Amino acid sequence: MDKRIDQMEEKDVQITRMTEKMILIGFGLAILFWLLESILAAFAFHKGSFLSQLFSAEPYQLWIYCLVLSILVIFGGYAQAIIIRLKETDRALRESEAKYSALVENAKDGVVIIQDNICQFSNQAMSEITGYEVDSIPGMTFAQILTPESTYVIEEVQNYIARGEALRQAHEATIQRADGTTREVEISISTILYNGDPAIMGIARDITDRKIAELKLKKQAQELERSNAELEQFAYVASHDLQEPLRMVSSYVKLLERRYKGKLDSDADDFIYFAVDGATRMHRLINDLLAYSRVSTYGRPFEPVDSTEALYQALANLQATFTETGAEITHESLPTVLADGSQLTQLFQNLIGNGLKFHEGTYPEIHITAKRDNGHWIFGVNDNGIGIDPKYKDRIFVIFQRLHDKAEYPGTGIGLAICKKIVERHNGTIWVESEPGQGSTFYFTIPENGGNQL
Amino acid sequence: MRATHRSTRPFEILIIEDNPGDVRLIQEAFKETGLPHRLNIVENGEQGLQFLRRQGKKYVNAPRPDLILLDLNMSHLDGRETLREIKSDRHLRSVPVVILTGSSHDRDIFQAYDLQANSYIVKPSDVDEFIETIKSVELYWFYTVKHFLK
Repeated sequence: MDKRIDQMEEKDVQITRMTEKMILIGFGLAILFWLLESILAAFAFHKGSFLSQLFSAEPYQLWIYCLVLSILVIFGGYAQAIIIRLKETDRALRESEAKYSALVENAKDGVVIIQDNICQFSNQAMSEITGYEVDSIPGMTFAQILTPESTYVIEEVQNYIARGEALRQAHEATIQRADGTTREVEISISTILYNGDPAIMGIARDITDRKIAELKLKKQAQELERSNAELEQFAYVASHDLQEPLRMVSSYVKLLERRYKGKLDSDADDFIYFAVDGATRMHRLINDLLAYSRVSTYGRPFEPVDSTEALYQALANLQATFTETGAEITHESLPTVLADGSQLTQLFQNLIGNGLKFHEGTYPEIHITAKRDNGHWIFGVNDNGIGIDPKYKDRIFVIFQRLHDKAEYPGTGIGLAICKKIVERHNGTIWVESEPGQGSTFYFTIPENGGNQL
Repeated sequence: MRATHRSTRPFEILIIEDNPGDVRLIQEAFKETGLPHRLNIVENGEQGLQFLRRQGKKYVNAPRPDLILLDLNMSHLDGRETLREIKSDRHLRSVPVVILTGSSHDRDIFQAYDLQANSYIVKPSDVDEFIETIKSVELYWFYTVKHFLK
């Protein structure tokens, strides 16, 4: 690059010298003409001495001198103007070339110009991508720097050229490097003129790292999906297959209790009590685990659901508790959303059920809201219950996590875990805003378009 | 309403159930009703059909049951296939079949009724409920329902 600039500067200096020379020659010619005129007059036509001829020119001669001088000076000036303009054009061209050449040379993308299947030009980045010296690429064929699988790019380009179509397209290809390794590139190809003939310019962007990252991400996603599916399957099978033997255990210890309670000694009664209690709890856990795994295994396709309907169904299911606690439930107008209707009902049921359950003092008041926000519906279930310490705001959504003594508030700790799973299946999020003693508001979102079904 | 049509012979019940624990629970439940009944127990559908068709030495003198309690999930001809066989056999299809299973799957319930099951009962996991359910089944089929008598 520097060499080229040096050459240009040299040319510039030459032009300036030439201009100076032309003006000097103009003057020189004028003086020469004057001298020749005087010599001719003095020696050929004997019109006096040379000096008298030189310094005592006749009026007509002076006119001629002036005319010749003027013509020469005008010519010289005009020539100089042309030369200056040429010089300026040349400089602009040179600057532009320097600019583009700097762009090409410093570009992070590899640039290669191919004519008749032979590389004519390449930049530094291309040399880095291919692993060949920048000077050794011109002369190589395009196929030499591509893997055999990627030579289809050449064929496609040739087809385009054969049809005479203007070409501007991008391909993904694999570069076969000098050291035998490969790099993934995205080549944008366009047709240009090079030395007056059609040529192909390829701009290659190294996307190997991006490709590797994409592949890694894809692999991780697949792995996650697989392990999730496996976990689901495990939870389902475990809970389902455990049901049967557990039913036997609990049935027979209860039968023992039924037949022999009070008929054996008090130790026997204690033992039976613990066995029955353990079996009952285990049974509840397994049922809850089954319900949890069913959120995804038995989930139905999403369809438009009137969330008011879902809410009323939830309230109908909670009727007994509802009447018992004397709760007051109010709601704003609720939208129609794309959802699994029975799961939306279960969601409301669990959240409202919690509001009814974790309550002390006067009657429970529960208020349900919905507002639109940035492509989502945000539902809110607000209660005047005992509230939750913010430090437990994540833990409450974990399966079988409980914050209270079983005697105080019974349950296995499945309700909110199921809520979370339902919301996540609907591509939404769930969270709680609460302070102890200040009631809680559970929020969950459902995308307006339903999102992608999981 | 109480038609005590069974003064001459006990109420014959065929239990097709592969879980001995459940069989025993059913037996215990029947014991509590105190009604004259006889439980005939087979372990799978294959044996059930042999019993019903009096096939093989063992079942030559098998009585025709007044009620069949049929489990769904069994090895050796499961409940669905057994039900299909019974209901497509013109000599057997008049015998009421009650499905007694652990499955509460909609698909199973639909399929059972589709195959002409006379009722579908999910085994309650609580033993008290289990016994109450069996008792109610027996009482219903013993007293409430009018049977066709050969």
